Amino acid sequence: MAERPSASDVTSLGFGLGLRPQHYPAILNGAPEIAGAVDWFEILSENYMVDGGRPLATLMAVRERYPIVMHGVSLSIGSTDALDMDYLARLKHLAARVEPAIISDHLCWTGVAGINMHDLLPLPLTEEALAHVSARVDRVQSFLGRAIALENASTYVTFAQDAMPEWEFLAEVARRSGCKLLLDVNNVHVSAFNHDFPATDYIDAIPREAVAYIHLAGHEHNRTYIIDTHDHPVAPDVWRLYGHAIRRLGAVATMIERDDKIPPLEELTAELAHARAVAAAALERTAQVA
Amino acid sequence: MDLARAERLFQDGLLGRSRDILDRVRGNAREDAAAMFEIYRNAYRSRLAESLGVDFSGLKALMGGQAFDRMARAYIAKHPSRHRSIRWAGRDLAGFLAAEVPHRDDPWLADMARFDWALAFAFDAPDAPTAALADLAGVPPEFWGSVRLRFHPTLDSFRITTPVDEARPRLLANPGAALDRAARCERALMVWRIGHDVKFRATDLPEHQAMQAMQDGATFGDMCELVARALDQEAGPLRAAQILQGWLEWGIVAAVEHDGPGSAV
Repeated sequence: MAERPSASDVTSLGFGLGLRPQHYPAILNGAPEIAGAVDWFEILSENYMVDGGRPLATLMAVRERYPIVMHGVSLSIGSTDALDMDYLARLKHLAARVEPAIISDHLCWTGVAGINMHDLLPLPLTEEALAHVSARVDRVQSFLGRAIALENASTYVTFAQDAMPEWEFLAEVARRSGCKLLLDVNNVHVSAFNHDFPATDYIDAIPREAVAYIHLAGHEHNRTYIIDTHDHPVAPDVWRLYGHAIRRLGAVATMIERDDKIPPLEELTAELAHARAVAAAALERTAQVA
Repeated sequence: MDLARAERLFQDGLLGRSRDILDRVRGNAREDAAAMFEIYRNAYRSRLAESLGVDFSGLKALMGGQAFDRMARAYIAKHPSRHRSIRWAGRDLAGFLAAEVPHRDDPWLADMARFDWALAFAFDAPDAPTAALADLAGVPPEFWGSVRLRFHPTLDSFRITTPVDEARPRLLANPGAALDRAARCERALMVWRIGHDVKFRATDLPEHQAMQAMQDGATFGDMCELVARALDQEAGPLRAAQILQGWLEWGIVAAVEHDGPGSAV
């Protein structure tokens, strides 16, 4: 059997897409629109934490051809409920099969008292929450035997008791726990608009050595607030912010994340090609300045 | 306010149990805290309702989008998800429809939900090999009475009183299809997966009872007696053998076990 594509060198991952069932046939049939256009795929971990059937079989077939990143939504790292060890055991089991380049989830909580709200809920940005999250990341990483990456989620409210900006909170979690960061540039833009801060302040405060990869996605602008819908193409403001991020962080693996209103694959590969162009231009400009 | 209390208040706000969280969160220069918190409340309800609509596509086609959405929101309010994957959030829906007014007055609803759920379960339930008729042929005749079956882990079997198995494909092809909602039936459905393909089949009640007994560990000898009681004494063993043969041909049996030499046990 041919060797699986290497997944050990995260910086060389390149440009990826979210793996969606609508695109399974095109990917597995080697459709021309993905040849050379997609370097890796990100999966939603929970969709494959199942016992059998078509999803798992398809994932393993894709894995034979591409590096995979596992991205979860149910770790609930900020919850004051106990860590769900059964969930973590299943996550670890899936990781043993998939050998992902990265395992990521979100800086958020998803429920307490045994209830799952199935949403990425905001944390009070306090020293207590910082200590709580850092300690839990440490436990998760010990259990999995590897570092995880945490993503900044879009938020719509802040807590009156917040003691620090989110970028400071996130950077400190990374420093204390040794975790990596998944920088969602769209989410930075959404939260910056919703909470009236400059998006570049967030990007500029992120420790560059901690960033494992970048998400790009679309949103819905409602005049007085923005909702992170992940069902639109990447917006012009977000492309500009992405260029800023690459100028500051250097070459970072990047992907387009579309969760709803999934378009044909060629539309996403075209968007991914644009990401390559924006990143290349940003890196060239950085080189010229240097 | 400590973290645990902040999370509890936030969740209570989402579930509509309290508004205390609104004194502790902030909106922005354009929208107040209540308006921005409403984004989370809407997202919670609509995300779950949308997910249920995918998992219960037959039920949604049967009820119509608006009625389904109202029902889904009532279900969510009564049964908040306790599952790490949203895919399991509908686990209690068939029971909810069978128990709650006004839904319980229409037996189509719980039957269709039960059918949808079995199809979704079979889709990604564990893989397993299937036994073949040859496995049964290898059982020494004197040990036939001791034959026990290990059923395929994707198999689900349940009774229905409305012909949802006939209606569901029609509704999905044409959501406005006319149905005789007064129609009733007395049968069972079995749902399972072969390879990656989910299958279903209607069975009569004696066969359903035989399957339940075998799933509970009964032997083929027990099953013959059960079927004989349900039919007549002479026809029982022949009918039981036909049922067994059918199960093996359809691929719902994972292993044939018996007390004789060479059993899969």
